[in-house]
Amino acid sequence: MTDLTFLYDAVARILPFECMQARFMQQALVGLVLLAPMCAAMGVQVVNFRMAFFSDAISHSAFAGVALGLILAVDTRLTMVALGVLIGLGITIVGRRTTLSMDTVIGVFFSTVIAFGLAVVSRQHNVARDLQRFLYGDILTIDDAEILWLAGLFVVLMFFQIIGYNRLLYVGLNPALASAHRVHIRAYQYTFATLLSIVVIFSVWAVGVLLVTALLIVPAATARNLARSAAGMLWWALLVSVVSAVAGLVISAQSWAHTATGATIILCSAVWFAISAFAKRAR
Amino acid sequence: MTTIQPSAVVFDNVSVTREGVRILESVTASVPHGSATAIIGPNGAGKTTLLLTLLDQIEFKGRITVHGTNGHSDVRIGYVPQRLDFDRGMPITAMDLMVMGHQRLPLWLGTRRIRRHQAMDMLQAVRAEHLASRRLGSLSGGELQRVLLALAIQQEPDILILDEPASGIDIGGEHLLCELLESLRRERNFTQIMVTHDLSLVTAHSTHVICLNRRVLGQGPTHTTLSAEVLAATFGIHLGLANIHAVTHDGVVEICSQDHHHDGPHVSL
Repeated sequence: MTDLTFLYDAVARILPFECMQARFMQQALVGLVLLAPMCAAMGVQVVNFRMAFFSDAISHSAFAGVALGLILAVDTRLTMVALGVLIGLGITIVGRRTTLSMDTVIGVFFSTVIAFGLAVVSRQHNVARDLQRFLYGDILTIDDAEILWLAGLFVVLMFFQIIGYNRLLYVGLNPALASAHRVHIRAYQYTFATLLSIVVIFSVWAVGVLLVTALLIVPAATARNLARSAAGMLWWALLVSVVSAVAGLVISAQSWAHTATGATIILCSAVWFAISAFAKRAR
Repeated sequence: MTTIQPSAVVFDNVSVTREGVRILESVTASVPHGSATAIIGPNGAGKTTLLLTLLDQIEFKGRITVHGTNGHSDVRIGYVPQRLDFDRGMPITAMDLMVMGHQRLPLWLGTRRIRRHQAMDMLQAVRAEHLASRRLGSLSGGELQRVLLALAIQQEPDILILDEPASGIDIGGEHLLCELLESLRRERNFTQIMVTHDLSLVTAHSTHVICLNRRVLGQGPTHTTLSAEVLAATFGIHLGLANIHAVTHDGVVEICSQDHHHDGPHVSL
């Protein structure tokens, strides 16, 4: 496997905090610096498409994903991603073909996957303990293999954001107009739903089921307050997410704080949001 | 005018049914090349639906044939929607909108200079160059309409479709918009199809008219087609009791209904 030691050493040099000398902290930081920009970039479109509830449903499918893995006796990480993508595509397909509103469709999927997860967990008591990891997230136990997976996803996602950003923005602005401009709306919707589902499931490991949506939404919402153009929106979201991730990780490791990493990251970005809201009003 | 112009668009027996309700019934009509064609009719007559069939955004029965300027089969259609439903909080500038559909390079990596120039030229053509760096959400109805028109023109359309372009604009602004359209049409040589229920715009600015109320009730050159009978058939059926009071010498038609309908079928042109 690729040796990532050089990367960790670099992290220790760039951030010479005492807490950053531990290997698991260096690994966590590399993981977060990969994950945060992905969430921020996807978050910009999640906000434009009003898909916050969609990402919530995907993140909550993590329970059912774990349950499915236990039933089938396969790696739960695999079943989580597979089920997440399946639910994401399911919502998109049904949403396109029914006259029901999107939030109703999502609500149906949402409650079904949660019920399924709970049903399985209630049968097997020893799993309940494991599930706490998914509630709060567990970025500090990330290993090299997971970091490489994240890096792979990062490359795919940024490629998508490069070739698709303008079109996604167009569809988010007004689908009828985009379609008159010969943008393939359906293809973009499905691709976006698939990639978003994968990113959401990866984020569950980092910040937990409850906070994934915040990781997507808060930097993007802050960016909306601060940006004056479509370009500024993405750059602000990236900046806010990465700074919050690093600050959150470092703060959570301080002896005076000693808080859950995921939660601390979200709190940092919430501070950004508050500042941006004031900045917008002052303008 | 005796020259027979080929048609840019031919609707042949176009019918649309949605959830059991007939919205369009065997619409057969044609739009002459280079014309400014108005589709008129009361609310709920299926005007927007007819446009959607042309834009291929709705299922229909029948046939629609479209011809480009030089008989090209690849016809470009520009579309200016009635209202742009969008999230006004989105930090997208008019320039962003103009570039979005043309540039692959993501906007967050910059806007190519040539695209910026092209977009600026278009905005200038609709007298909206000063709006380039404004957020879309901060534009007034009329300003947004002009930017959307620039966006549609930028696609160098053979056919330009406008859905109620005057609906978001203040009184007076609509005539300015139509004058602007006329000069653009002369310059760029496209066929214009405009849906409206404002008859004063039709008589002043269109060369051809299609009267629609689920079915086609009349079509042809504006001044010969808009007779009292056709107008009564078009607007009257929908409104119930309509009464043509007077068709005056300069083409002013007054239609007054006897029931007091909200739509106020008091149409003067």
